[in-house]
Amino acid sequence: MNWGHEDRPHLGLRATFPGQLGFFGRMRVVLSSMWRKASGRYSLIVLAIWILVSLVSRFWTPVPIWVTDGYRIWQAPSRAHLLGTDGTGADILSWLMAGSATNLVISLLAVLLSGVLGLLLVMAMVSRRSGVSQTVVVLVDALISLPTVLLALILAVPLGPSIAVVVVACGFGYGLNLARIVRPQALLAAESDYVRSARHSGVGSFRIFCTHLVPNVIPVLCVQLSMSAGTSVLAEAGLTYLGVGVPSGLPSWGHSLTTSVKFINVFPLTVLWPGLVVTMVVVALNLFGDALRDAIDPVTNPRLRAAVAAAGRSTLQSVRQETSACLEASGHASEGDNHVAEY
Amino acid sequence: MARFLMRRLVLFILALIGISLLIFLALRILPGDVAAIMAGLDAPPERVDRLRRQMGLDRSYPRQYLDWIGDFLQGDLGRSILTNRSIASQVGVRAQITFPLILLGLAVALLLGIPLGCAAALARSPRMQSFSHMVAIVGGSVPALWSGLLLIMLFAKGSGLIGLLPSQGFPALGWAQPGQALAALILPALSTGIIVGAGIMRYTRSLLGDMLSSGYVDMGMACGMTRTQAALRIGLRLASPQLVSVIGLTMAEMITGVMVSENLFALPGLGSMLITDVGNRDLPAVQSELLLLAAFFLFLGLLVDVIHRLIDPRFRGAARQEVVAL
Repeated sequence: MNWGHEDRPHLGLRATFPGQLGFFGRMRVVLSSMWRKASGRYSLIVLAIWILVSLVSRFWTPVPIWVTDGYRIWQAPSRAHLLGTDGTGADILSWLMAGSATNLVISLLAVLLSGVLGLLLVMAMVSRRSGVSQTVVVLVDALISLPTVLLALILAVPLGPSIAVVVVACGFGYGLNLARIVRPQALLAAESDYVRSARHSGVGSFRIFCTHLVPNVIPVLCVQLSMSAGTSVLAEAGLTYLGVGVPSGLPSWGHSLTTSVKFINVFPLTVLWPGLVVTMVVVALNLFGDALRDAIDPVTNPRLRAAVAAAGRSTLQSVRQETSACLEASGHASEGDNHVAEY
Repeated sequence: MARFLMRRLVLFILALIGISLLIFLALRILPGDVAAIMAGLDAPPERVDRLRRQMGLDRSYPRQYLDWIGDFLQGDLGRSILTNRSIASQVGVRAQITFPLILLGLAVALLLGIPLGCAAALARSPRMQSFSHMVAIVGGSVPALWSGLLLIMLFAKGSGLIGLLPSQGFPALGWAQPGQALAALILPALSTGIIVGAGIMRYTRSLLGDMLSSGYVDMGMACGMTRTQAALRIGLRLASPQLVSVIGLTMAEMITGVMVSENLFALPGLGSMLITDVGNRDLPAVQSELLLLAAFFLFLGLLVDVIHRLIDPRFRGAARQEVVAL
């Protein structure tokens, strides 16, 4: 049966193709798969608390962070100040809570920057012009041995301590690292048959990169970006302690840790909390990446595969129903059935 | 190998020039007149001018840059603005603390990371495997500052729970008192080494795990080795090139921990010197020290790449077979 383009009946189909689950449906399956494992559940809980506390601390902290009481400095933990007060009389718990928002912003920006930089470098590395790709590969090899703190120090001299210093230093370093780790997988995908076929059908290289290479490296990307977020929290703490990170008036976990150093001879137990918070969050970020990789990859996650297949079946069914309904309405019932069976 | 070495050396020099330009420009954006700051608040203008001429700040930027690089290559790192002491001699004195600290930290990291990583890869029971996985992850997630604080709380002489080791400062006579000097470095080295060790443990575990399922180890076992023997003698040898690369990279990241430890444990090393100079905006000192640090790490990267080539037998015939895969 040969349908001419003009007399093809309009099949009121949805935009989803058969076999495709919408983004939100996919995410629901991914999250529930992560929740099933202990490590994934831990990381989801800790990250949810982190985001929640960051939001809450914008509006409410037990004691407003700018309230300092000169008569109540270096106070032991009490009902009014659950973790005590620091040298200016500010409440340590409130600063820790407010710091989580700063750290969230730093981590997100650093991850964004490193992701963009890393993917741009990978794009250059898999470029088919060997001059470009080899130069970039060798350049990354040479620059990767520069420590993050060196870049931060170079930037900190003109800029002074600021969030930008931490974000740029981390984003740059982790971006190089990302490119180096993602490159083998991207190369493998770049030499695959489907990329070759796309190229021969005249698809541009940027489009091939976005539609064929990036989906292939998403599992690695999840692990690396999530680990980078964790490392950026650690880097923030180190740089702030060294005086080139977050400036001293701004709450951050690095600031809380730095304050706690002075506590060591007053009441040592207070030293534990900021470090514990940082460690728990970094552990959660590390586990999150692994759990997300396992859950987001249809190859390793049978539940996602099953969900996608089920969605495909139901879409196919609805396609069939709609097709036959349309055809019936236009009086092509029998031919319509044949067509759908072929389809 | 010769071709690779040439290429890598050229790149090393290019990267160094790039970094030196970056450092130079970053420090020139700095607002404020360095000569005026150095001369003092109510210095007469003639004095400021004289100082500016003395430091070469009246010359054009390209000229300043070339002067700086020329002096740097001859070993003259300039003089500090604040103390007017030669930076090269300061660096020499302080490196005697920082380099032993880096080496000790690396030793701690390797002694912890490689055996634990091997044990984790060889563990058979799922419970043991997940436990070692957790050890690696938690160990790598501790901020260097916090682990240093915890070590002080546990082991510091005087205030710690088990007072064993000194936690503040370095003996005045330096390495003339080897026992005391070493004791002063143990806690800082532990606090930097543990995190790096956890990272190395993680990589050892995954590399050796890949090797265990690769067939080489099966071959060894078929020849009569036990699984452990085969893994350690064949698997570890096969994993060693990649392990060297990873160790080189983690060493670069270790420097943040070293700087934090030097500050926390009040060690007068290179890191604390750099931080002080950055805080004081001591321009000549900062630019020479940063370039020195960059050169050190770029050289380390070069060294690691060369070692990687040397111990990976697959690269030996590479030149002949035209497989110059970088």
